[in-house]
Amino acid sequence: MDFSEEGLELKEIQRLEGHNDKVWSLAWNPTSTLLASCSGDKTVRIWQRSPSTSSWHCKAVLEETHTRTVRSCAWSPSGKLLATASFDATTAIWELIGDDFECVSTLEGHENEVKSVSWNASGSLLATCSRDKSVWIWEVQPGNEFECVSVLQGHTQDVKMVQWHPIMDVLFSCSYDNTVKIWAEDGDSDDWHCVQTLGESNNGHTSTVWALSFNPEGDKMVTCSDDLTVKIWDTDSITMQAGEGYAPWKHLCTLSGYHDRTIFSAHWSREGIIATGAADDAIRFFVESKDGLVDGPLYKLMLKKEQAHDMDINSVQWSSGENRLLASASDDGTIKIWELASIT
Amino acid sequence: MASQPPVTAGATGTAAASIQDIFDSSLNLEETHFNDGFTEGYNAGLISGKEEAKQVGLKFGFQVGEELGFYRGCVDVWNSAIEVDSTRFSSRVQKSIKQMEELLQKYPYFDPDDESAQEIMDNLRLKFRAICATLSVKLEYNGFLKSSSEAKDIEF
Repeated sequence: MDFSEEGLELKEIQRLEGHNDKVWSLAWNPTSTLLASCSGDKTVRIWQRSPSTSSWHCKAVLEETHTRTVRSCAWSPSGKLLATASFDATTAIWELIGDDFECVSTLEGHENEVKSVSWNASGSLLATCSRDKSVWIWEVQPGNEFECVSVLQGHTQDVKMVQWHPIMDVLFSCSYDNTVKIWAEDGDSDDWHCVQTLGESNNGHTSTVWALSFNPEGDKMVTCSDDLTVKIWDTDSITMQAGEGYAPWKHLCTLSGYHDRTIFSAHWSREGIIATGAADDAIRFFVESKDGLVDGPLYKLMLKKEQAHDMDINSVQWSSGENRLLASASDDGTIKIWELASIT
Repeated sequence: MASQPPVTAGATGTAAASIQDIFDSSLNLEETHFNDGFTEGYNAGLISGKEEAKQVGLKFGFQVGEELGFYRGCVDVWNSAIEVDSTRFSSRVQKSIKQMEELLQKYPYFDPDDESAQEIMDNLRLKFRAICATLSVKLEYNGFLKSSSEAKDIEF
């Protein structure tokens, strides 16, 4: 799709208020009918769009479980379970039972603040990471039991985010140590190892890597950092699809000069639009450039929305639904639903 | 060393040499005292250094031994539980306990220079944490310094 021909604008659909503190992270359920948000106010809110008015309202508040900031949330691929990671060193698993979300399991193991949580493509594995520098892999057992498969150590600092590959059981983590690490299982033995480290020596980031996201095909990855750049990485999709497991990733290009404050979030849409949320309160959109320059930049800025929020933007998440809906969460305590629409 | 005066003839020469010797010792007073002090200090340092090293080695060795013993104890209790009821723990946990046991056997108890010691200890700690998390038990080796205690109180 060539977006450059279209005139696009970012329209604010709705502003969701309710959290009493910074909103840290967002997650759309697989059908994009629900949006989960988590906050420094120790709660998780579930937002639903009412079919009649098509406006969003808060369907549930998940509280009195986490005792500190809830930093990250993720829906299982089936959409039945919601995992929430908190600074109270635990990860909670919530299930919609009847009309209520109930905490059905609590994962304890990290020494301190859990920073991020991610489900693998099949929903059989869960990964968490923490300020304790470790990454944990859990296996889902019958009856909402979770068994620890492996504790991975390799990062030398706080691990900011974990993200499973969209197709394969390969885990990615990014850290305050400026690197992205890739973890894969050795055979079928519960032996998980770091198979690649994307650091400064591989054209990687020179400061904290805050987030990463994959294109729908899973052969490209975007990372964003405190070094004010966004980097695109790619891998050999043929080796990857041949089921030979892990294929090495390499640096494709660096988008610099677009941001002047820390970039906290980057998310790749199904259509191939990369959205970023940063400390300058703006949301930016990048698309692959079709200019055909061999050595030129492969991605270009398509649109920039200044003052999208009053404060830092911590998370931007595309919905998987029909419209180009984007949700953003900010230190200003609000969540906004946007639509990337043609200028009318 | 002071250079010897040129040897001339007779007693005058000998007298001159012995006078020189008398002055020598007072002229080199500072150096002599310095050397004496150095030797004395060096010997004292050697003794106290050895003693200190012995204490550090004893303390560190005790700490390592205590931690290894703690894990050994846990493994023994878990193994006893498995013996009573082999379905007590999942196969993954049983495998991890087995791996801990192997690590404890591999540990170079009598060779502190063996570089695998730290690696084995790190692996033991990881396996232990994984087992505890799965069993939902809060066991902790008290002497183990948590990384959290050294970290700053930062939140983001």
